[in-house]
Amino acid sequence: MSDKTITPREITFRIRRYNPDTDTVPHWDEFRMHVHDGMTVLEALHQLKAEQTPNLAYRSSCRMGVCGSCGMFINDLPMLACQTQVLHLGTDVVSVAPLPNYPNVKDLVPNLEPLIQKHAAIKPFIIFTNQAEIDEPTGEFIQTPEERESISQFTHCIKCGLCLAACPTVATDPEFLGPQALAQAYRYSADNRDCGLKERLVAIDVFHGPYQCHMAGACSQACPKGVDPAFAIQLLKRTLVLDSIGFGKKPSKIAKIMPLANVVKQIEEFAPPPRTVK
Amino acid sequence: MRETRLWSLHILVIPIIAVLLGMHLALMHYAPVFYDMSVDKARDFTTMIERGKSVAQLVIYILLLIAGLYHGLYGLRGILRELPLTPTLVKVVDVGILLFGLFIFALGTYVTWWTFNFGG
Repeated sequence: MSDKTITPREITFRIRRYNPDTDTVPHWDEFRMHVHDGMTVLEALHQLKAEQTPNLAYRSSCRMGVCGSCGMFINDLPMLACQTQVLHLGTDVVSVAPLPNYPNVKDLVPNLEPLIQKHAAIKPFIIFTNQAEIDEPTGEFIQTPEERESISQFTHCIKCGLCLAACPTVATDPEFLGPQALAQAYRYSADNRDCGLKERLVAIDVFHGPYQCHMAGACSQACPKGVDPAFAIQLLKRTLVLDSIGFGKKPSKIAKIMPLANVVKQIEEFAPPPRTVK
Repeated sequence: MRETRLWSLHILVIPIIAVLLGMHLALMHYAPVFYDMSVDKARDFTTMIERGKSVAQLVIYILLLIAGLYHGLYGLRGILRELPLTPTLVKVVDVGILLFGLFIFALGTYVTWWTFNFGG
């Protein structure tokens, strides 16, 4: 990035406004403000709200790319406002709009209900069928570092919804489960502690499931946490095909229970020596 | 049927179509190469009727019909079902495509069978 693009200067913010109580269609408002090096879009919005437009509505929380609240359509790309530095965008006019593919609540606030509904539909939790073990756990599941690593990146999802906003299939087919839910369906189904694929089939083995993915890859580019949902969807397809022809997860591949006494023993074995404070 | 099975079949017929289409090309379009016959002669009605009496041709064309129809109509269903349809229209699309496929299959099979048995 050249020095010129990150030189502190006046930036014009084009912000899409919509108030359901007074507006029938959204419109754009422009604001100018001085932006310093390192200032994020979220900080700029805070400053605009404080100094120029107090009724601006947007959602934010952690300010460090963890909570996933501040997803916005910045310069026509879905991004987290707290992770996007204004001067790094390299333009003198920065447009900020609510995430596409979601209903708009007000100004920059999208209604993430479709994301939550699709996420809930795929049963995003470990399903273990041994009810006695669930009621009275006798130990812990055994999961090797390799088994954990195989699903690790998919556990990083923060449910920010950027992938659904970027997905061209969701844009044309709102019923498509979308990259977030499908990646999570793979994440849980591939987990060696889980035996719930059969229960998830009702939600994922349908027309609007993984086979509707057009493999544009926009979800993987948009993800602020480095998750590759497009890849997860391909892995999910493989899982489903193998399951449909009787080569699904074998019972021997499902995590065994390590008795509690052994867990304690292992913790003692691998525990670091007691700290000595001088 | 599970969507996975329908989709898997859609993918599975691709190599089958490739092989059968290759045979069709060899029979019709590359006749000068494979049969020392001009393309015009290969397309001639009497030649086609004569060729139609072969069991190999009967099998190849019926299999190609099945594979091509399934692959094409599954793809068409995918395009149509991406449209914002009501549940009733979804059923109309699914059943309509199935019936259309069966009709074309019956028609194609009849023509191939007729040529095999009574052609010429």
